[in-house]
Amino acid sequence: MGGAVRWRGLLAHGVAALFCAAILLPLLWLVRVALTDKLTAYKLPPEWVTPRLHNFVEIFTDYPFLTYFINSVVVAAGSTAVALPLAAMMAYAFARYDTGGLPLRLFVLSSQMLPPVILVLPLFALFLWAQLLNTWFALIIAHLTISLPFLSWLLVAFFQGDVRLLEQAARIDGATRFQAFLKVTLPVTAPGLLSAGLLAFILSWNEFLFVLILSGPQTNTLPVGLSAFQTQRGVELALLSAATLVAIAPVFVLLPFMRRYLIKGLSLGALK
Amino acid sequence: MKRLLIGVLALVAMMGVARAETLRILMETVPDTEQVKSLLSEFKAATGYDVEIEAISYIDMHTKLVPQLIAPTGAYDIIIVDFYWVAEFTKAGWLLPLDEFAQRDGVDLGRYVPKVMATTGQVDGVTYMLPFYNYVMGLVYRKDLLEDPAEQAAFKEKYGIELGVPKTWDEFKKQMEFFTRDTDGDGQNDFFGTVTQAQRGDCIMMQSSNFLYGNGGRYYDENWNPLLNTPEAVQGLADFADATLKYSAPGSEGFCFDEATAVMTQGKAYSIITFNNLYATINNPETSAAGGKVGITGVPGGGLMGSWGWGIPKSSPNKDGAWAFINWVESFDIAKRRAIMGNAMTQTALFTDVDVVAARPEAPSLEPLVAEANAFPVFTYTVEFVEAVGREFNLAASGQKDPKEAAEAAQEAFADLLRKDGLIE
Repeated sequence: MGGAVRWRGLLAHGVAALFCAAILLPLLWLVRVALTDKLTAYKLPPEWVTPRLHNFVEIFTDYPFLTYFINSVVVAAGSTAVALPLAAMMAYAFARYDTGGLPLRLFVLSSQMLPPVILVLPLFALFLWAQLLNTWFALIIAHLTISLPFLSWLLVAFFQGDVRLLEQAARIDGATRFQAFLKVTLPVTAPGLLSAGLLAFILSWNEFLFVLILSGPQTNTLPVGLSAFQTQRGVELALLSAATLVAIAPVFVLLPFMRRYLIKGLSLGALK
Repeated sequence: MKRLLIGVLALVAMMGVARAETLRILMETVPDTEQVKSLLSEFKAATGYDVEIEAISYIDMHTKLVPQLIAPTGAYDIIIVDFYWVAEFTKAGWLLPLDEFAQRDGVDLGRYVPKVMATTGQVDGVTYMLPFYNYVMGLVYRKDLLEDPAEQAAFKEKYGIELGVPKTWDEFKKQMEFFTRDTDGDGQNDFFGTVTQAQRGDCIMMQSSNFLYGNGGRYYDENWNPLLNTPEAVQGLADFADATLKYSAPGSEGFCFDEATAVMTQGKAYSIITFNNLYATINNPETSAAGGKVGITGVPGGGLMGSWGWGIPKSSPNKDGAWAFINWVESFDIAKRRAIMGNAMTQTALFTDVDVVAARPEAPSLEPLVAEANAFPVFTYTVEFVEAVGREFNLAASGQKDPKEAAEAAQEAFADLLRKDGLIE
């Protein structure tokens, strides 16, 4: 019996190790290539050389990666900061009052079903007319078209849960509807809001097409900067790997928060 | 409030002036762009214009350009145009004719290699672009192996002819076969006669074109009748399939330029048919195990012509400034300095210029490559052509379809697109 349990445990760990390897090995490969030189980067089987940091230096000295990084932070943080409260209000209206009924909800979702290129061309024309091309403002607005519908749909589920009962209890105790929303609903759904905000941040951080069309050298973000390493004379693999590590670093910084709040958000419920 | 309004208006006016003094160009992330960047301070000193170059990857350029070209006033004063886009851009009326500017400033358009001018310069006698750089395909080969007496003796013994820089297609085919070998005795070939790039789309079309020309085939005749099922074209496709399946590295069916070049730079192949401007990368000891060991020559039968041109979009906010820049960057002195830095030249005189040859000894050997290159079909549906025909060629190169059948299907797809474009009935 004990042996069977041990074998089952080993098997489970083996499967888990395989999955971990599938996820981690490409990242480790990226680290290896980022620390090597241009000649060794492509070698198969891989050659191990003394790790060097020159690729990281080069992306900041020969390429405007600091600008790309700052732009990514501003645009992702800006669009999330605008999207989150708006989406929360929209989701609350959907959950409590069924505003617009199913047709409005589907209408909001429909923008997510369109290929992004359909949205970006009218946006380009509008921003061109308003002389807002190549500005952070244009990119933040453009990214709202992605994050706002997504977040509002995501958050409806949070507002429809058991929090409704808590809110009713607050109302019975004399709170106004707004007080109940502010002092009961928001704190209870905070983990959900935060995890939704983190997802919105990552969506904006990785978005490529809107930035490509609507931005210029001053406002390009990291995904467009990364694509520039793919040239007609070959991919600058070592530089691209270093730049990719820089680009994904914020996700690693946010990951511990995200994990904690995602779990809280998913298991939301004050009435246990 | 009034003061605030006046202040805002003044600021907007100043921004307008500042914009007029800055010329914006969309370019690709290639060394030729860096060469231009390094000279911009001289243009500023000569004309007072600042130049802002936005360099992005090739695959994103078309997507970024088209909305700008459709707009009444776009963000770019100058663009660079790949030969793929010439028919589309000129037919749509997005490019400004440059003949008046050229005549006014006495620019000699005859200074360019005629085939380059025909590819990214003039369309139906109207000058829309000045050629910027070429990317004609050439044959890069391991000259250390050709000069090795043991290899020479073995080749002569096997084929009865001397081993040397291939002058005919048949000679090159023999060399592909000869150099493909198992060097470590494990029963698997680990050194290859050539490297092919048979990934669908642009990758396979660029390289397989050279196999078509090498066999004497052409894409179309003088009346645009498609010629993809002629015996020469079928043989060209069969040779490309053979090269991919027998003489190239495993996985070549999915290779594009990058993977194919990597095999060569790792020193694992004798030859590669590739863009002549990749020669410097392959021959650089810092980036290539084959560095210092390779030479470049024309593909027997003529390689594929490819080039970029400078153009002024009709949506350019500053057309006079744009022309001033193009006229400056293509002036002989600036073009010569770019050539010395490694630019793939388009002006005939540069290939034999004393200073250019001193810096780049291979320059004279590049001239015939460019002069004898063959044109790729450039019409309204070139992009669709590349997809449709490239799919058939890939099926042949990966052994999934007989080359004759694939050639027939490609012929049909090409004919459909030509009919759609009104070029044939």
